[in-house]
Order: sequence, then structure tokens, then C-alpha cells
Amino acid sequence: MKTLVKVLLLTLMVCGIASCATSGPKFTEMNVAKISQDPGQGRIFFYRPSSMGAAIRPDILLNNEKVGEAISWGFFYVDRPSGDYTVVTSTEVTRKCSFVLDKGQTRYIRMAISMGFFAGHVYGELVDEPAAIEELKGCRYIGK
Amino acid sequence: MVYKILGILCFLFLFWGCAFDLAHVSYKPAQFKPEPEPRITLIMKDAVKVEQAPCGYARTLLKGTRWDLIGTIPEGEVYKPKDQVLTVECSHVHEAYLVVSGGALIGFYLPVEKGFVPISPTIKLPID
Repeated sequence: MKTLVKVLLLTLMVCGIASCATSGPKFTEMNVAKISQDPGQGRIFFYRPSSMGAAIRPDILLNNEKVGEAISWGFFYVDRPSGDYTVVTSTEVTRKCSFVLDKGQTRYIRMAISMGFFAGHVYGELVDEPAAIEELKGCRYIGK
Repeated sequence: MVYKILGILCFLFLFWGCAFDLAHVSYKPAQFKPEPEPRITLIMKDAVKVEQAPCGYARTLLKGTRWDLIGTIPEGEVYKPKDQVLTVECSHVHEAYLVVSGGALIGFYLPVEKGFVPISPTIKLPID
């Protein structure tokens, strides 16, 4: 009986993890332009290079507009005019990351996770391009 | 039984309070005057570790990085990084630029919040 329960739990866990898996093309397969094609705009990449807390997938708000979800091993990007931006993610708390986007510039926002009381806290971090490109290599496209 | 339930509820409320107690970067509003063109670029001759950044999150200014003078605030000159991302953080993360006076780093300027975050003690920067 105990073995049966263990097998069932294991199956549930595997199914749970599988449902979180990301299925789009890999960053390395996409030949994504690092900068916006529109010279008047900048590009913002969002990515989450970790399986930690994969079941927690908060919405990502950019200046109060939903632009996507923080999905493990997923990435997407948006093009926006230059200006001030704030990325907000909410789990049991709301976390913010503010930065400036210039014309023709590319910014990289890594979605990290920290320990929470009931659930992990997913939050945005501004990352240098070389580090971001390395981490993006393990991510798959989840944009629309 | 009732006391046990009350005890558990009190415990949960206490921890709930802890869990949602966010820490914020303390800054004061700063009047920023932009430079028409970046005319000065600082180059860090050595790495500089800033231990006194807010909430104990130390930051390192990397060796060889370039910083453009983009304007001033009453406290000092504001330098924006050309090849390094700089942020300060507590519960939230804020992009930050250096505020320099007399060759010393005296704090950070938050370009989105338009605020000044002082550091103490100040740090003499390894620049020409």
C-alpha cells in the first residue's frame, strides 16, 4: 500500500513538473535580434533561467500593462519607446524593478525567486548583457 | 481547544506581518539638471566594492568600466554607466547612477524615482 502511495505521489510530481515545462523554440535556435528594428524604440527581454518554484508563474506587468508571465526557462521580449519603466510581479507580495530605457537600447530583466512565507517571491532584476545572453541560451520562447 | 486555535491564529498573524514587511530604499527627492552632451567620462582604474549600499546588498563597480557625466544634482555630479548595470535594492530593485563629489562616491541617483541615496562613509574613487 505504501509503495502504491509513493508511486502515485511520484507520478503526480512528474506530471506537475511536466506541465510547467516550456515548449517554444530555444533562444539559440531563433536568431533573435538583440535590438529593436524600430530605431525609435528600445527592446526589453524578460527571462526566467531556473526551475526553482516553477509552479509559481506570476504575471509580469510593465508600467501596469501585462506583457507576459514569468515561466521557468521561458523568455520573451517587447519593444517600447524610450522612457522610465517599472516591472511589477505579484505573488504573496508585490516586487518592483525600475529602470530607464533609451532609444536603440536593450535591457534584460531576469525573473529571480526568493523564499517567501507561503510561496516564493518572483521578482525582476536588471542584468548586464553578457550574463543575460549566457542565461538566455537555456531558455525557450514563450512570447506571442 | 479554543486557546489552541487562538494561539495558532495569533502565531499566523505574527508571521503574516513579518512576511509582508517590505524594506524600501530610503532616498530624498533630487533636482536633476542634465548636461547637454556628456563631456566627461570616468574610468574605474580598479574595482570598487560598495559595502554600504542600501539594505546590505553590496555592489561592485567593475575595473575598466566607463561612466558618463550626464548631469548634476545639488549633492554632486551624476555619472551613468556605459558598460555595467548598476542597481540598488531592498525589496524592490532600482536602477542607479553614481553621485560623485570631489572625486568621492557620495551616493546613488535613482533616475526613475528621481531621488538621491547617500552612502556613509563616502568612497574615494580610483579615477584620473
